[in-house]
Amino acid sequence: MNFWIAVTFILLSGAALGQIHCGNVSIEPNSAEVASLTFDSFTDYQGGVTINSVATIRVRVEDQAIPDPDCRWFLYMEVYNNPGSGTPANEWETLFQYGAGTAPAPDIDILQIRVRNACQTSPLDGVFQTFTNDGDILEIIADLLPLTPAGSCATNVNGPGDYLTNYDEFTFNIDIRVAPGYLFSPGIYELGVKFHLEEQM
Amino acid sequence: MKKVVLSFAAVLALTTAANAQLIDEKDVTVTMDLQPVLQLDMTTSNQIEFVFDEINEYYAGITQYAATILKVSSTVSWDLYAVGRSNGTNGPEFWDQQIDYGNNNPNAIPDLPLSLLELRQSQPNGGAAAASGTFRDYNQAFSPSATPSAGNSLYVNGGALTPPSTDDKYIAGHAGTSGTAGDDFIAGGSYLTQNTNFSDYYYAIDYRILPGLPAIFPMAADADGATFEDIVTVNGAGAYAEPGVYTMYVQYVLLEDQ
Repeated sequence: MNFWIAVTFILLSGAALGQIHCGNVSIEPNSAEVASLTFDSFTDYQGGVTINSVATIRVRVEDQAIPDPDCRWFLYMEVYNNPGSGTPANEWETLFQYGAGTAPAPDIDILQIRVRNACQTSPLDGVFQTFTNDGDILEIIADLLPLTPAGSCATNVNGPGDYLTNYDEFTFNIDIRVAPGYLFSPGIYELGVKFHLEEQM
Repeated sequence: MKKVVLSFAAVLALTTAANAQLIDEKDVTVTMDLQPVLQLDMTTSNQIEFVFDEINEYYAGITQYAATILKVSSTVSWDLYAVGRSNGTNGPEFWDQQIDYGNNNPNAIPDLPLSLLELRQSQPNGGAAAASGTFRDYNQAFSPSATPSAGNSLYVNGGALTPPSTDDKYIAGHAGTSGTAGDDFIAGGSYLTQNTNFSDYYYAIDYRILPGLPAIFPMAADADGATFEDIVTVNGAGAYAEPGVYTMYVQYVLLEDQ
């Protein structure tokens, strides 16, 4: 009998640690986006190609029916290159290679990505960032931060709210830029970036 | 006991529910199509004439300096070579004779080797460390008429476009795919970004034809420079070039090192 009491206590403790504080978190819409970059002139290779607003991340975080002061959220982006297909950790996944040259596939770090919104809520706002390896993460709004309520138009807003009522804080425009240079083998390559929204626990 | 099991199941269910942390995700897939761009610009005339109507021109030859300017832009590692070609009127390795000037002497030879044309490139080949031939490029100075040299003789390969071998001459890069920069290729880049007074992506080409007197074209040699192809060596003593009008063309080939 004592054994079951102990088990129950442990499980309840675990439940308490994993308690949810928010009613709902969502990216709207959360459908996948595809960006295609074609490099077919010397100008493209030299100057790079930029796509502004390749995706827009609209965040909705709802509090519980009885508001919980610990309802906070964080948002990050993670790069992936389908390593299961044998892609080296630091390279784009090769879909097709033109010719038989010996040059390597492009490095992941030629993809530059920028996050911006009107309130500049992310510490990364407005500056192109790069990844190095598959699985690398860049935090747009970091985890474990104290509450910064919506409506403050300050850095790291992470309280409940949504893009309808606080558009400048809950909307993130994503820009990408790629300047490959002349080091890499011609071909068709692919890379994925996952935007992950989660409530703080 | 049954109550204990039920309570355990209830707690487990609560725990599972409590761990259903709120998450949402969105994916952006970036596809990049890197198409190879190899661009060879020639801003100079594509017609060059050599008229030999003075004795000193036969002795000293005629040189056309910087008659061709070659500018390279490439997004991939590359090689550049020149190859002599003709329409094959007199054979695939000879100039096309358009007119002969009424000479029926049996020693007057109408088959002039394409390799009699000499090239000189403005700067050395920076991607030919692995070359094994006597002459890796066309950068050596034109040799005086008294000392024949195969160093500038145009690469010819039976009238074909086939790339030169490791023993032959390239303007830039060379045969092979070592993958080591400087050994057998020039890395991708462009003349547009040069910031010194020379560039591996910019070449001025001088042309010389030296008939000699009698006109035997002593500088003509085979592709690797090991054997001369002048009129006397090929046809025997007493032979000379038949007067007339001849044409041929030089094909510059820029290709990915692969």
